[in-house]
Amino acid sequence: MRSSQWMWLPAAYVPIAILAPAAYGAAYLNVEQAQQAIFAGHKFTPAFVTLTADQAREIERRSDVNVRNREIQLWKVSNGGYFVVDEVVGKHEFITYAIGLNADGTVKQIEIMTYRESFGHEVRNPEWRAQFVGKSASAPLKLTRDIKNISGATLSCRHVADGVKRILATYEIALK
Amino acid sequence: MKSRSSEIRRARPWLGTLVEIGAAGANAAAGIEAAFCEIETIHRLMSFHEVNSDVSRINRAAPGEIVRVDRRTYEVLGCAQLTSRLSAGAFDITVGGRLVEAGLLPRPQGAGDFDQDASYEDLLLLPDDSVTLTRHVWIDLGGIAKGYAVDRAVQVLKKSGITSGIVNAGGDLYVFGDRQPIHIRHPEDVSLVLPLGFIVNAAVASSSGCFALPASGGRANDPLIAPKRNIAVQWRKGFTVIARQCMIADALTKVIRLAPRRAPRILNRLRAQAIVTDRRGARISKSRVAVDPIGGFPDPARYRFGSASALASRIRKEIAV
Repeated sequence: MRSSQWMWLPAAYVPIAILAPAAYGAAYLNVEQAQQAIFAGHKFTPAFVTLTADQAREIERRSDVNVRNREIQLWKVSNGGYFVVDEVVGKHEFITYAIGLNADGTVKQIEIMTYRESFGHEVRNPEWRAQFVGKSASAPLKLTRDIKNISGATLSCRHVADGVKRILATYEIALK
Repeated sequence: MKSRSSEIRRARPWLGTLVEIGAAGANAAAGIEAAFCEIETIHRLMSFHEVNSDVSRINRAAPGEIVRVDRRTYEVLGCAQLTSRLSAGAFDITVGGRLVEAGLLPRPQGAGDFDQDASYEDLLLLPDDSVTLTRHVWIDLGGIAKGYAVDRAVQVLKKSGITSGIVNAGGDLYVFGDRQPIHIRHPEDVSLVLPLGFIVNAAVASSSGCFALPASGGRANDPLIAPKRNIAVQWRKGFTVIARQCMIADALTKVIRLAPRRAPRILNRLRAQAIVTDRRGARISKSRVAVDPIGGFPDPARYRFGSASALASRIRKEIAV
C-alpha cells in the first residue's frame, strides 16, 4: 500500500471496546410473539412430546444431526400446522428459534427468538443456557452493554440449518 | 437522536448467515416481512447450492448458450464485472471452481467441468438480462450477493413507508433514516468489538479471518481465493468498507484484501472508504465517501488501538473502577 494513499491515523485514545464473554446477544421474540409472527390469528395447543430412545436414534440416522434434547416443545396450530421451539448451540453462539411447519410438514417460516454470542466456556453450561429460554422484549436478556449492529466476520447459520433438518426428521418420525 | 424505542427487530436465517432487520414506525412489521421476502428471493436466485438458482443455471450452461436471468441477478453480475475490471481481475466471481476444489463449496449438480483458464472475461453480459459464456465457468456470488440483498431489503422497507431502519446480513449492513452506532469486530480477538461511530444512509461491510482462526493460534485460512494465485488467502487483518451501497462495500472488502495497491483508486472511483485494522492500529483510505456526515461519522481518531491483550487489560481496569 502506498503511504501517500493510506494514512496512519494519529494516536488519540483507546476506544471503549467491549470485552466479550456474554456481552453480545439479542432478544427478538418470546413464544407468543413467535407464534403470531409465523401463524397470525391462529390458536395454539401445547402438545409437548418426549422422544423415545429409538425415535431419537432414527432421527439422528435420517438427519445426520445429534439429538441433544429428547423433549420437543411442540404446539399444534388450529390450521393443521405445527409450531416448534428449538435451541442450537454453536462453537460461539446459542440460538433459540421457532419453526412453523405447514400441515404437510413443509417449512412455513423460521424466526430467531434469542441469539447469544459467547467466547467463554459458559456456552456449554446448561444453567447458563437456561436463562435465555423464553426471554422476550419485555424481559430482555441482561447484556453488559447494549451493542447492536456489529459488522465483522460473518457468522454461519449452519447450526440453525442442522436444527431445521433435525426438526423435519422429527416430524416424519414422531409427529406425523 | 430520535428514540428508537418503537423499533422492532427480527432475525431469520438466510444467505448462509443470520439476517437481522430493524424498522421503526406503524408499518414496521409488514415492512420487515416484505423485506425478508425479498431476501428469500435473492437467496433463491443467487445461491450456489440451490439447483434452480440463476447461478446454478449459469454454471450448467455450455459456452455460447444464452442464459436469461432475473433482473436482480443481472444487476449483481454487472457490478461484479465492473469490480473485476477496475481491480484487473483481483475480484472475480468465476472462482467457484477453485472454491469447489478447495472443498469450500459442493460440486454443482449436473454441471460439466469448469475450465481452469476461465476468468471473469469469459462471462459476457448481453442485453435483456441475458448472459453467455465463452468457456465453462462456475461462478459464485458469495462475495457480493449478501451486500446486494441488504440494498434490496432497504429499498423494500422504504417502499413500505419505513423511514428509519437497519438491515444487517451477517455483518454487511445498511442504516437509513436515523443514525445508529456501528461496531466492528477486533480482527485478532472476536470477543472484542470496536466502536466505529454513527452512520446513516450508508453501508458498512467487514471482512476478517477471525472466525477462521484455529484455536491453537495457527494460520488462518478462510474462503477467500486469490484468483490469479489460485490459493486460499491467509491473513490477520480486519477490513471494513463504508460506501453508499452495501453491494459495493461487500465487494470492496475483497478488493482491498486482494489488490491493496490498486485499492485506493478503486475506492475513490466507487466513492467508498476503507479502514484496515491490525495489531498496530488502523489505516484509513484518503478516499472520500459520499455519505451524509450527520452523526459525527466516523471519527478517525477513534480507530487507534494497541494489541488485543493490552486493550483487554485496560478495559478490565476501567470496568473494575
